[in-house]
Amino acid sequence: MGKEECKTMLDALNKVTACYRHLVIALGSTSDSQNLREELKKTRKKAQELAVANRTKLTTLLKDKTISKEDRAEYERLWVLFSSSMELLEVDMKRSLEIGQDFPLKVPTRHLIQTGMTGNTNAVAARAMSVQNMKYEADSNIDTADLRDLQSEITQVSQMMEEMEMKVQVAPWAVVAKQEAGAELKSNMSVGNSSVGVISICGLGKLTRGKQFTFLHVVIKFAIFLLFKC
Amino acid sequence: MTIKNALRDYGQRYRPRMACLRKAEKVLLEMQDPCAGVKSQPQRLVITIIPHAITGEDIIAWLADRFQIDPQEASSFGSMLVALGYIYPLQDHKRLVIKPDTSLYRFQTPYFWPTQQWPVEDTDYAIYLAKRNIRKKGILELHEQEQYNHLHKWMNHKWDFIVMQAKEQYRAAKERKKPDRVVFDCQERAYWVVHRPPVRKHSQKLPLNNFVEVFEHDLPRPWHSIFIGFKSKFELDYSKKSNFVWASFLSEPFTCRSKIVGENLAFWEGCEDLKWGTAVAMKEKAEQIYKTFLARGAPRWINIDGKTMEITVKGLKHPHRYVLDAAQTHIYMLMKKDSYGRYLKSPVFKETLKKAVNPEEHKFNEVQLEQNARNRRPSLSPIIIRQQEQEQRAKMAASAPVDITQVMSKLSKQGKEMGPRHSK
Repeated sequence: MGKEECKTMLDALNKVTACYRHLVIALGSTSDSQNLREELKKTRKKAQELAVANRTKLTTLLKDKTISKEDRAEYERLWVLFSSSMELLEVDMKRSLEIGQDFPLKVPTRHLIQTGMTGNTNAVAARAMSVQNMKYEADSNIDTADLRDLQSEITQVSQMMEEMEMKVQVAPWAVVAKQEAGAELKSNMSVGNSSVGVISICGLGKLTRGKQFTFLHVVIKFAIFLLFKC
Repeated sequence: MTIKNALRDYGQRYRPRMACLRKAEKVLLEMQDPCAGVKSQPQRLVITIIPHAITGEDIIAWLADRFQIDPQEASSFGSMLVALGYIYPLQDHKRLVIKPDTSLYRFQTPYFWPTQQWPVEDTDYAIYLAKRNIRKKGILELHEQEQYNHLHKWMNHKWDFIVMQAKEQYRAAKERKKPDRVVFDCQERAYWVVHRPPVRKHSQKLPLNNFVEVFEHDLPRPWHSIFIGFKSKFELDYSKKSNFVWASFLSEPFTCRSKIVGENLAFWEGCEDLKWGTAVAMKEKAEQIYKTFLARGAPRWINIDGKTMEITVKGLKHPHRYVLDAAQTHIYMLMKKDSYGRYLKSPVFKETLKKAVNPEEHKFNEVQLEQNARNRRPSLSPIIIRQQEQEQRAKMAASAPVDITQVMSKLSKQGKEMGPRHSK
């Protein structure tokens, strides 16, 4: 049914937006690198694809005059979710342009801020792209070449959002949220369903594996630490 | 679509004094230099080692050396950088000051730097609080809990999005290695301590943002010129624009009667009064000024050269608005070249500068505290209201063929809204 598909796609968009934000936060710091710039580019493109798909789907659903009142309320709620994601994405894209311009990588002396972050962001990007490992195939001047693409993409996104506001008559303040305060403390993940779609399941699998690994790791390290202390 | 809350615009789009941000960023970049920058050391937590920690004393020493200032001023400068959010403390993270000892600090990532054009969004704060809720398993601090409830109420339509995004961001953060995760948590927490500080009691020293807000509303006028004086030392290093500083110094009504510039400033004020005053009172005012400042043997005689005096006296026979312009310009140049310099070197100025660099704490009593708390509302400053009115008028003028009765009724309705505020 249309609703389920919509929710899956929104979940995916939401995940990519969150990952994109994490990547933008690493820009300009000591974990900035050519790889990070490529990750940003790929994540961004994926986000845009999802955005366009979501928008088409939701606009068709909302334009349908024959749907019931409850259905319409639900679609409006999904619409608010979608537009909020897009707003976040747009701001992050603009900021990544700004910071990317202020911190070029192909210069004789790099001036990256020593923030204490030194690791890479491969895993975050892999999560966004829903793959196991990221492949890096870009040229070494990606930090400048990508900025031009980024500028045109930002204009596209802004245009899309303007069109959205014009064409779809949804009053966002009239939407009532389903989640109450403190809902994030409960363990269910997606928009309103239990695990749907390939994307969510892959993500979940990776998460549990990751958790176990770090727990064991901590226990072992703590044991070694105690041993050396004695 | 988000209804942007323009009242609490912590991004300060309408406050041009934040032009110092670009300069602060340059200083930050200099501090990163591997040879000539601030020395960094690794921070050892239980089993993790995180690099790029800097000590308070190193920061102060570097600033003192770079700008050739004494440690007291370097300490205030450093505290300003911390208060703005460029550097954050690793211990005692709620106190945004530089301690001149081995306390550790770290540089903030560019995404979390304060910016002129990107306002600090409540949506982001709500997402942060939701993430914190997950991390602390529901046990938030008091002010955080209050903010959470407040945001849940007025951002209710977006709450599903906030919960979803918080969960996803929380999971994405887990994909990074442990040291980076710790750093990220510290960075985010520091960002929100700067931009959503917990409400402070009067006994603690105010960070710079509060200082800026407080002096705009609470402190008497001379502080404005002192703040500019303080900032001017910083700006003079970069731009040597003493013109700007002097002009802004004069633009404030100077109530501090100093021996050095008393009569000249009084004369200046009188001239301004004449220029901008009502036409009816003009003749009287001109005569008054002549008697007080220009006539031979006047009680507050000002020292202008013979030629200017001649022209002015002649003009005063048939006084008009700009009859004192020549004399006023002469006095302006005199003060700028001579008296202002002497003022900057005088003990009075040094005293006030010391107070600006290291402001005294307010000593409010209980009653005043209560009143301050009651009056503390996020209201628009009159400057912004006037700007908005002007913009609206321009907009309405632009869209010309409009039903005039609608326009008039809209304007009168707004006038009624503004009325009670203006009467304050």
